[in-house]
Amino acid sequence: MKTGNIKTKCSYVIMGLGQFLYGQRVKGLLYMAVLALYLWYLVTSGIGDMTGFFTLGTVEGDPWLGTKGDDSIIMMLRGILAFLVLIAVIVFYLSNIKDVKNTERLVEQGKTVPGFIASLQAFVDKKFYVVALFLPVVGVAVFNILPIIFMILIAFTNYGGDIVPPKLVDWIGLENFIQIFSLTGIKDTFVKILGWNLVWAVCATAINYFGGLLLALLLNKKCVKGKTFWRAFPILAYAVPGFITLLGFKFMFSYGGPINYYLKAFGLQAVGFLDIDAGWKARIIGLLVNAWISIPTSMLLATGILSNMNNELYEAASLDGAGRWKQFTKLTLPFVVFSTTPTLITSFVGNFNNFGVFYFLRGGLYLDGYFLASDTDLLINWLYNLSIDNNYYGIGAAVSLIIFLITSVISLTTYVNSSAFKKEDTFR
Amino acid sequence: MRNIKRALGLLLISSLAISMTACGSDNAKASGKTSSDEVITLRILENDTAKQEGYLDELLSAFNEAYKDKGIQAVDANMEEYSNLAENGPYGYGPDVLYQANDKLMSYAEDKHILALNREDFECADLIPEEAWNAFTIGVNGNKYTCAIPVNVQEPMLFYRKDKLPENWETDWDQDGDKTPDFLQSWSSLYQLSQQIVTESGGEKYGLVASCKDLYMMAEFDFSYGGYVFGKDENGLTNSEDVGFGQGDAAKGMLGLRQFAGVMNEECIDDSIAQNRYVKVADGTYFCSISTPDTYVLFHDRLADVYKAEGCSQEEADKKATENLGMVELPGKMPADGDLSKNGDTVETVVMGGVNGYGISAYTEHRDACIEFVNFATSREMITRRAQILGIAPTRSDVAQEMGGTTEMIFGSLSAGHINLMPSVKAVDQIWDPMGTLLSDVAKDAFREKKGETVKYTDEASMQEALDKASKSIYDAIYTLSN
Amino acid sequence: MRKERLSETVVTYIALILVSFIFFFPVLWLVLASFSASGSIYDYEGFFPKSYSLGTYIKLFSDTQMYDYPSWLRNTLFVAVFSCALSTVLVILTAYTMSRFRFRMRKPIMKTTLVLSMFPSFMGMTAVYLIMINFNLINNLWSLVLVYSAGAPMGYLVQKGYFDTISNSIYEAARIDGASNPTIFWKVTMPLSKPILVYTALTSFAWPWSDFILPNMLLKNRDLWTVAVGLTHLGETEFSRFAAGAIFIAVPIVILYFSLSRFLISGVSDGAVKQ
Repeated sequence: MKTGNIKTKCSYVIMGLGQFLYGQRVKGLLYMAVLALYLWYLVTSGIGDMTGFFTLGTVEGDPWLGTKGDDSIIMMLRGILAFLVLIAVIVFYLSNIKDVKNTERLVEQGKTVPGFIASLQAFVDKKFYVVALFLPVVGVAVFNILPIIFMILIAFTNYGGDIVPPKLVDWIGLENFIQIFSLTGIKDTFVKILGWNLVWAVCATAINYFGGLLLALLLNKKCVKGKTFWRAFPILAYAVPGFITLLGFKFMFSYGGPINYYLKAFGLQAVGFLDIDAGWKARIIGLLVNAWISIPTSMLLATGILSNMNNELYEAASLDGAGRWKQFTKLTLPFVVFSTTPTLITSFVGNFNNFGVFYFLRGGLYLDGYFLASDTDLLINWLYNLSIDNNYYGIGAAVSLIIFLITSVISLTTYVNSSAFKKEDTFR
Repeated sequence: MRNIKRALGLLLISSLAISMTACGSDNAKASGKTSSDEVITLRILENDTAKQEGYLDELLSAFNEAYKDKGIQAVDANMEEYSNLAENGPYGYGPDVLYQANDKLMSYAEDKHILALNREDFECADLIPEEAWNAFTIGVNGNKYTCAIPVNVQEPMLFYRKDKLPENWETDWDQDGDKTPDFLQSWSSLYQLSQQIVTESGGEKYGLVASCKDLYMMAEFDFSYGGYVFGKDENGLTNSEDVGFGQGDAAKGMLGLRQFAGVMNEECIDDSIAQNRYVKVADGTYFCSISTPDTYVLFHDRLADVYKAEGCSQEEADKKATENLGMVELPGKMPADGDLSKNGDTVETVVMGGVNGYGISAYTEHRDACIEFVNFATSREMITRRAQILGIAPTRSDVAQEMGGTTEMIFGSLSAGHINLMPSVKAVDQIWDPMGTLLSDVAKDAFREKKGETVKYTDEASMQEALDKASKSIYDAIYTLSN
Repeated sequence: MRKERLSETVVTYIALILVSFIFFFPVLWLVLASFSASGSIYDYEGFFPKSYSLGTYIKLFSDTQMYDYPSWLRNTLFVAVFSCALSTVLVILTAYTMSRFRFRMRKPIMKTTLVLSMFPSFMGMTAVYLIMINFNLINNLWSLVLVYSAGAPMGYLVQKGYFDTISNSIYEAARIDGASNPTIFWKVTMPLSKPILVYTALTSFAWPWSDFILPNMLLKNRDLWTVAVGLTHLGETEFSRFAAGAIFIAVPIVILYFSLSRFLISGVSDGAVKQ
């Protein structure tokens, strides 16, 4: 009893030591190795990285003199990383305590402590989800979460404009946000673009979604022979890289393009589909072009989902004398909507942040009443103009943080209230 | 030690995400290490045209041959021509020497990504006019530094068909009797010719069609009338707080542009013209167009294609194309009141131009070798070869004189102040989109009446307002958000 | 009754032809453009080039001094194949786990991924670039594979939706037979998920083919570029080469589709057999 407690407590101090003392040699050593590595990392660079995160550099470099200064941005990144690693180690430490307590209980009950292989097997079976999710979570943490944290933090610095390496970047708190809301030009632009962006996202998602669904249903009809053949046409469209399609469409709608060529050949006036005061013309073309690019994907998806539908339901329904329309609204639609609500949300977000369409179709226009943007630009295009074209990283990050908050609130509420989230087992 | 670090890193990646920092950034510069007895390798970034036409190969092999014994070797940096030095250089991925236009190079200089150089180190220094040097001069803490070596001047050129000159040009289009058609000397005359071509062909053919939304090509309608990009401060350095597109009589000039757009077709409003000018000049739809001198070969090849299609042999077609394709500077006179339809008082044309040159990355480890290379590349022989192969107008006076013709003319224009060089500051990035939008709106305005839309720019006042707005938005883009 | 069927079939086919035309025409146009003799698109009679030749394709593969298309194709293939394999594994694993198991962190993870996917991706590009500098993986094709497959699990929702429709009773039966969770995954789930596997593989293969922002940032050397990056850097008058390059990289995806399509619609045909 008492020895057990001491052994357990050993694991509180040195991760894995308790397990080792209980006779779980390999597991204990692995835990200790992780601890040792972490300590080694902490000493060699971890501590420095963490302090660097707060200072963001103290020595300014001068390439002309060949003096190497601190690179604020790299320091920030490494700082975030150091904290992420710290969190990971804490999680590991907690799992170690949980594990050693388990072992303690087993010993108290007089059972034999399982060997390494046996406990590994048990772990893989019982906690399959941990094993399965481990790599995805690590990958996402490093290549998605870390950049996002980085960008969020950039919003609180003066990075951008004249302050780019080798100059030192500093934390400035909420100043970027204050600037956005105090400068009328920026605020007005933001509101205007946000409005159009919402309209765009809703329309584009609806068109793509129902377009894809209808196409899939059309191809699924019993009377259609050679389904693979017919389905190949949308696939062809899908196979050509999007930006090439976009450049192709831009050409088609330009003054020197084929559409205006035919208009003029019929004695009509040339139409500026995408030029400076195209306005809604350009917006609608954007929607249609986007549909052309996206419908094949959503068709593929809908086909996959429809193929998984239980045909017996339809047979039962037609025996009951349900009409085709009724079958569609009562059976097909609920089923498809159920299994695609999450996709619908992802596609909404994808369209909300659809960078390519207007960048390629109508880039490089700054219109009256907009600050560094045009009337077809979406927030993401504006962000691009601000942060990449004009180097205002800090402001850009602040704007993207605001957009991020808006979109995540909308989609999170939709998602949490959707039947796909609440009643996941409906169709099981 | 590094190996151990890496091995440990690998071990960690499979257990935890710790590995990332273990690898560390300190070994980023793995590629560029050399000790004294090894061969120094310089990575040279040239532009795509120089590569395509084979000039870069020639330059590199000539250099490598000459410096074989000194242990210096130059290679193609093998990167994209506009790759960002600020992004690559500090981490060891940038080139050692880069050839670029002054706006691009000097935006690097502002953040000290390229080295300040000593003019005396370069053999060509005295042969290059002060105007060209100014494009590569930057003020830091009240001192002036030179950051790159000028190589050639760029300005928009007029490309026309010698075989499509009006038959009666010597009698009708040469009022001053100097054996040069007036429409190559005066914008008013060019306008009147264009108008005549359009009417006579019933709208099938055009005189001049140029990219009206392109500030670089169209700046003469602003600069010739007193407009400018940025002003200068008391030290003669660029002051980007003073945006000058609306200064002087610029509004008159812009009305002139609007007028000219009326005898072009709508393709001048968007990107169409930028790509179809080569073909349309070749097939005779357009009498002339405006482009940069480095596109000469594109006009030439398209024209040769046309002759080939007519049954000429490759050689014949080439010869005929060379004969019939003219490239001259833009007409030197513009109407003082901006009205192209009359032949009244004139002002001298001032175009926008740029100077291309060699800069040396501040992150190079072989500064002296880089200077040697730039010296070699700006030597008389190499610049002459460059001018022969690429058709550039060198800033070296000796080569310019030797080449004669257009080359010498461009050189002369630079010295005479007929070329307004792009300012060498980062802020110049902000002028293109607002001005491009305005120019395309002005050009579009010429077609609005025909379509039954409301005309926006009827008089100088409305034009002035639009120019001021554009200047303001450029100012805002530069200053609103800077801290 | 019969007449109704017939007219419906006719209408269906008309609709099909129309839709196919809409999707096919721009592609056809691109194909024709790639065979244009002059190289530029601006000397066409309306939609069609004035003269045709094979020259562009020959140039595409032989004139590699400036634009090394064969290398780009190899690089793209490398990146796409490896990202496809890795992403598919990770996505399927994630989706299956999220659909099949109930654990404490599940709903938080679902919500977090949803929120994360909302972040405009290029805003994080600077960070990705700096991470890769830290990894010393600039100018290395593996960096792309790493980023593509690491980000892939974020898009697990489609696949989860599919797994949600597989009946629980199948798993329970396997469980009663004493199968462990990994075994169930391999022996029971996998055979049932062919359509979604194919869908996942196809989409994760196609993504690296057309993405150019990321490779443009991570690959500095011209001969390491992927096709998408290379094509965006073609000269402005090289449209036929651009089109030819685009057509050529569309081919593998179309082939992939044809060879995999029977899996994609296997569910449908299963139903037909039952009838």
